[in-house]
Amino acid sequence: MKADAELVVSSAPHLRDNRTVGRAMRDVFLALMPVTAVSLYFFRWNALFLISVCLITAVFTEILFRRMMKKEPTLHDWSAVLTGLFVAMLFPATTPWWKAALAVFIGIGLAKELAGGLGRNRFNPALFGLVALMLLSPLVAFLDEQFASLYVSFGTVDVLTQATPLAMLHQGMEMPSYTSLLTAFPGGALGETSPLFLFIGAAYLFYRGHLNWRIPASILLTVAALTAVLGQNPIEHLLVGSLPLGAFFMATDWVTSPFTNKGKVIFGVCIGIGVVIFRLGLAPTEGVAYSILIMNGFVPMIERWTLRPQFGQNRQTMARSVEP
Amino acid sequence: MTPKPFMGGLKIPHYKSFTEHASITVIPAPEQLVIPLRQHIGAPCNSLVKVGDAVTTGQKIGDSDAFVSAPVHASLSGRVTAVEMRPSHSGQDVPSVVIDVDDAQQPWCPSAPETRDLTKDGIIAAVKEAGIVGMGGAGFPTAVKLQPPADKPVDTVLLNGCECEPYLTCDHRVMVEMPEQILKGAAYIRQALGAETVLICVEDNKPDAVEALRQRNTDQSTRIVTVPTKYPQGAEKQLIKAVLGREVPPQLLPFAVGVVVQNVGTAVAVCEAVDQGKPLVERVVTVTGDNIADPKNLRVPVGTLLSHVIEQCGGLIKTPAKVIVGGPMTGVAQKSLSVPVTKAVTGITVLNPATAVTNGEYTHCVRCGRCVDGCPMLLYPNQISVFCEANLVERARQWNTMDCIECGICAYVCPSNRPIIRFVQDMKPRIQAAQRP
Repeated sequence: MKADAELVVSSAPHLRDNRTVGRAMRDVFLALMPVTAVSLYFFRWNALFLISVCLITAVFTEILFRRMMKKEPTLHDWSAVLTGLFVAMLFPATTPWWKAALAVFIGIGLAKELAGGLGRNRFNPALFGLVALMLLSPLVAFLDEQFASLYVSFGTVDVLTQATPLAMLHQGMEMPSYTSLLTAFPGGALGETSPLFLFIGAAYLFYRGHLNWRIPASILLTVAALTAVLGQNPIEHLLVGSLPLGAFFMATDWVTSPFTNKGKVIFGVCIGIGVVIFRLGLAPTEGVAYSILIMNGFVPMIERWTLRPQFGQNRQTMARSVEP
Repeated sequence: MTPKPFMGGLKIPHYKSFTEHASITVIPAPEQLVIPLRQHIGAPCNSLVKVGDAVTTGQKIGDSDAFVSAPVHASLSGRVTAVEMRPSHSGQDVPSVVIDVDDAQQPWCPSAPETRDLTKDGIIAAVKEAGIVGMGGAGFPTAVKLQPPADKPVDTVLLNGCECEPYLTCDHRVMVEMPEQILKGAAYIRQALGAETVLICVEDNKPDAVEALRQRNTDQSTRIVTVPTKYPQGAEKQLIKAVLGREVPPQLLPFAVGVVVQNVGTAVAVCEAVDQGKPLVERVVTVTGDNIADPKNLRVPVGTLLSHVIEQCGGLIKTPAKVIVGGPMTGVAQKSLSVPVTKAVTGITVLNPATAVTNGEYTHCVRCGRCVDGCPMLLYPNQISVFCEANLVERARQWNTMDCIECGICAYVCPSNRPIIRFVQDMKPRIQAAQRP
């Protein structure tokens, strides 16, 4: 039969809600704006320069790899610039630009695009970039030597000369007040500047429906409980280092966290345990990035353990034979 | 006993204001009817008429010896001009009887009330003879549903008046305007099944329907239950779970838990069949959407072409348009308006393609899990979509693709715009083919 030119045909459903990947990523980007503003306030031009380097590298890496793989560019989904901003948040303001750019390049190029693009990556691109630099420290040392004359600085930053709260915690120094830890105690990476402003961003994400509470809640409760049991001050542990950033923004990445609700809790608890082990055992390494990245690798296994029975099927008869 | 929500599901804007207060009206007879010989799930009918025959209103024109089937009748009087394959709203060509309608219509005359047979077998025979099928959209022959296997006694009948599909209001209007027939039909269904209770289930966004039914209900064994408005509340298994707390196991029918679910419109048809011997030759159809000039609830003779129905509603506002048989979540977009209204057509939803989605570009699953939260069958649509896309038939089967009820929630919420329902619809026949020895 001849199709009527005046009729539009497509498959059901014919309604959709208005959420898209691009909108979600843009919301995460917006949710990072409060802490970005605080870091710009403290670190001024150094922070602006670092963030700019990361964003520009992100865009170029994405375009380069999509071109190489003969795919349409996907800048409109905001995921590349978001990864760029995340990397910037993970570094101190005075980080040499080649280091930050290399982390972005590895994160977006290797961890994301070579894995097949957004959705196919098993590891969080920003954390992968950061940890790759730690593993590639000889290369970084070499680059530091070669590029030393290209180092860009906008003057020293007073606040950077003080010890970071995490280091103070490790060395058993007297800690700043809870209020200053919560609101702003600059010293570490940009994203560690102000837990309060991260919480504001996280609240926005939650309001917009992008944030599942299970992962941050289980990470933070685990860290609090374990540090309390081990005789540490749990509040200080929750507020220092990249734990707030990691728990609310990085561990909750859709692509690299379990899609089952129980799995999210297991994932969060394991990250929490990892963070405490790193902080109390392997000091002074920051364990958040490592813990999340390690657990990213276990996601398929966690999902397989935690599948729910389908409608009308009880737990006993549930087929567990499915392969992930 | 208060209904508890089933797991999953979603609040979806229901867009019912177009027609929810529009009384059911009758349309002028069309010049031509195309009556498919298969309007139900099961075996198609054989034509009982040939080209040139004169037919009267309500005359049986197709029947089958198969158990799972339902006869079809002439909706209006006229002359048979063709018995041939014609396109249907499902997209398939179906053997159909084409009738040129007489200008002078003799109305259908009801049988005398004293011929009523209210025994169990009498009711089932009347329902079978009237060609009644599930009028909520599925079109399963009702007489078959009234004959449960001997080892699965039915204690409860659920009359489904949820109408969870957005836009549609035909069941709503039937409940408001014809509550007596619904209650009577419900009693007949209960008697035929030997069930104890009838629960008429209505979503709480239709208080006037609940009120109309409650006012007229005098039967102790019938109760009107309001259920939360949540899509897909009207899906059989989800409704049983919400109202009775019973879960129908995968692959099984509601018989397995002692329940039969019938649509409220079907109950009206049962009432008319038992009381008057009236065959199912017309039904209430909602014509609605943001792209139809004059949205209405219409009483339409079975076999009327969509073009005639749409004409009676002032036609399309803008072209191109999307004309959907059924509602926007599960309905089928039509490529032609020369397909007939059948017994199972609940509505015609006409949307402006600018507001309705068309299948655009889609990207990888980003594993956000929204479809997992929404799936009322507690499946994993994310995994299913990945395996269907890659045509991994065995994997798709392992992840219970066959149990998908195609409610559309997963595709509705997907931020990557993945056409998950289309994937599933394409995959199901492949799984069936792979399972055949």
